[in-house]
Amino acid sequence: MTEPQHPGAVAPERSRFFLSDGVRLRVDEWGDPSAPPLVLLHGAFDHGRGFDLLAPLLASRFHVQALTSRGHGDSEWVDSYAWWSDVCDVVNLLRSLGRPVQLVGHSRGGGQATDAALWAPELVRQLVNIDGFGPPPEGFAPPGVPLDRRPPPPRFRDHLDRRRRSSGRSWRPYPSLEDLVERRREQNPRLSREWLRYFLFHGAREVEGGWIWKTDPEFAGGFGPWKPEWIGASWKGLRMPMLAMVGTEPDTWRLDDAVASERLANVPQLARAAVPGAGHFVHMERPRETADALLGFLAP
Amino acid sequence: MIPIQHGRVSLALHPLREGAGRPLLCLHAVGGSARDFRDAAQRWPGPAFGLDFSGHGDSQPLRGGGYFPENLAGDADAALARIGPALLLGAGIGAYVALLLAGARPDAVAGALLLPGAGLEGGGAAPDPASNTLARWTDFAAPPPGCDPAVRRLERDIRPPEYAEAFARAARGLLLAEGDFPQPPWWQAIRSSGAASPAPGDLEAGLARLATFPIR
Repeated sequence: MTEPQHPGAVAPERSRFFLSDGVRLRVDEWGDPSAPPLVLLHGAFDHGRGFDLLAPLLASRFHVQALTSRGHGDSEWVDSYAWWSDVCDVVNLLRSLGRPVQLVGHSRGGGQATDAALWAPELVRQLVNIDGFGPPPEGFAPPGVPLDRRPPPPRFRDHLDRRRRSSGRSWRPYPSLEDLVERRREQNPRLSREWLRYFLFHGAREVEGGWIWKTDPEFAGGFGPWKPEWIGASWKGLRMPMLAMVGTEPDTWRLDDAVASERLANVPQLARAAVPGAGHFVHMERPRETADALLGFLAP
Repeated sequence: MIPIQHGRVSLALHPLREGAGRPLLCLHAVGGSARDFRDAAQRWPGPAFGLDFSGHGDSQPLRGGGYFPENLAGDADAALARIGPALLLGAGIGAYVALLLAGARPDAVAGALLLPGAGLEGGGAAPDPASNTLARWTDFAAPPPGCDPAVRRLERDIRPPEYAEAFARAARGLLLAEGDFPQPPWWQAIRSSGAASPAPGDLEAGLARLATFPIR
């Protein structure tokens, strides 16, 4: 199948692999390598090519580098996934760039960008978090998936049962790329089929019998203690300016404004931007408006 | 040695004592291995097994270094799937893992004896923003000999007391070693909740008491 095209989408000018704790991670690049570095982090189940719309709009001023996190896209799979492993990967990448960066993350990538900025403030000039302010106190409620309000032990038993069944499992192939597009549309109805066809072409691969996700089926298989009040408290320690960006439209994956504001009240140097007409995937739904807000915030 | 599989990782389960009756599964501390229980296993009245956690002993390391207690509990659960309903003896991180498994699978775990050891404490009861630093996760100074250096992350994860207490209440029987060692908040919580009892006397007495817990 030939690579789909999409208006405004520009493939990376260069791609490379970066080794973090022995794990091969994909880095896609746009712009002049001598320009100030800007690093982009994607959300869960996405990959660096999701920035093909946004990155070219930033590349006139910045050396844009999109990291694809472990277990996603063309980055290597690992044996056990944990939040702080990804944050370590981000910091390892920043360290390798030799100068402080502008760090931009979406959703899960936004939360990890924020933690990376806390862990290594000397490496981050400015921080942008696009709707990555953590899940709601009761957890996200995707369509058709009821919230599990049971205490941890029975939920952990179910988790262990899944681990027993999943040893060595792989994705079931979908008959065609179009089937992947429709599957993803169920989760993200705001994203157009045309864009999803482009985006998922790079997030899936053709195998005998159809198409499978590149994302590791073991990803998102974690379990551990977590409390909503843990999110935000540490943000008091952010030493650089932070732009908190959201869309204005309702979306399953968009955090409620009141909850976001309560958490963001901890940030010492906070700027906010709301992009009209966008839901959770702000940079995919409204790349031009997202770029304008970013370019207005980011120092040269 | 019995090879078992957890996810993509191959683990070593060591028979430590032959015998008939109810099996004991031994779970070691950070930096340890099943060998640490060779003597203890001889005081058990039935068959005894020791598991090398991922990154330890004869088990494979985790590619990417993602060590955390719930993942090790998955290691132990893979051993349980192999040997069937059992009693647990855990030291250090192995004690915390035994608590998680005893609470998650009360049908398969009749009880557990928890001992002090490396990794008992974890990284505190709640995240401490001041210490939530890169060094917390990447400082592998003095890695345990023969282990993946990243196993030191098992000394840093957050263990909220009420999370531990929920597992203790769901467990069928827990015995906590007495003695002069630092008791982290999660240990104090399950001790004061009444969901766990003090183990009698020495290890031998503790194992004898554990052996009376009925398997379903």
